Amino acid sequence: MTARLKLVGQLAVLACLAGLLGLLVWRLTHQQHAPRVGASAPAFTLRRLDGSGSVSLASLRGKPVVLNFWASWCVPCKSEAKALEQAWTRYRGRGVEFLGVDFHDVTGDARRFVAAHSLTFPMVQDGSGDVTGSYGISQVPETYVLDRHGRVVLHLAGPITEAPFAREFRRGLAQAVQS
Amino acid sequence: MIARVFVTAAVALVLAGSAAAACTHPKTSLAYLEGQVMCPTCHTTLDQSDAPAARRIEVFIQRRIDQCATADAIRAELVANFGAGILAAPPRKGFDLLAWWLPIGGVLAGAALLGLGVWRWSRSRGEEPETAEPEPPLDPDEERRLDELLARLD
Repeated sequence: MTARLKLVGQLAVLACLAGLLGLLVWRLTHQQHAPRVGASAPAFTLRRLDGSGSVSLASLRGKPVVLNFWASWCVPCKSEAKALEQAWTRYRGRGVEFLGVDFHDVTGDARRFVAAHSLTFPMVQDGSGDVTGSYGISQVPETYVLDRHGRVVLHLAGPITEAPFAREFRRGLAQAVQS
Repeated sequence: MIARVFVTAAVALVLAGSAAAACTHPKTSLAYLEGQVMCPTCHTTLDQSDAPAARRIEVFIQRRIDQCATADAIRAELVANFGAGILAAPPRKGFDLLAWWLPIGGVLAGAALLGLGVWRWSRSRGEEPETAEPEPPLDPDEERRLDELLARLD
């Protein structure tokens, strides 16, 4: 009886250790990384910030896309907003789609931000941060430029107004338009 | 001009007072909710975070409290905005129920194991004299030799 009890106890401890090991392996294999240049951008469908339905990335296939991740509480996003709106008005005529992805934000704050900076390109909201996580975003603003096939052409982890990024952003856009 | 400012201030005070009086239930507080809501960017509760996102959520909560929203209503609005992960405690349904029961099960299992160990230990101590092997009796030959040895010592 005692020997059987001991065996059951040992098996229970082993099962607990195996479970913990399994969790560790799962965590390590499911870590999210930023999609690399040339890789397909992770698909998503998110609700529009203004509440009028949703937008899926798949619906933009066939057009170059600029995905800008931002939040109303992000200070650099404010300085970047004007440049993004200018780029949108300049490139929309060439078929480039801009999509702002607001993340971890109070909806009211995000709407006020859009109104305050007179942003006219489509905005979606990723409140839970799931989509943002699949893009490996750790801080905002970050911008992805995708080609017509939904592949990543450029990833900028910082405001597009910063000196090295401004030039890269234009180059990335040109590459996406030619794709 | 000064009179106009006074009138405006008085009207504002009256409106603020009537808004507070319009609450038909006890108001919740930011301090109460801060420990129940997570900062989405730093993964700690709001009361432990100074992140800009946490500050904005606190402002939102305070605004809703001022508008007489209940704690449940504010929590529901936050979940609708940020998803269930915004709450520090997991929901008490579905798979998330495990998060509530596993620690309780673990504590109970630990207590049971401890109790079993203590019981076995106390039992083994009580039985110790009974389990000691009794000395085998000396056979007549050995007894005789022992008597001789003792006699020599005398």
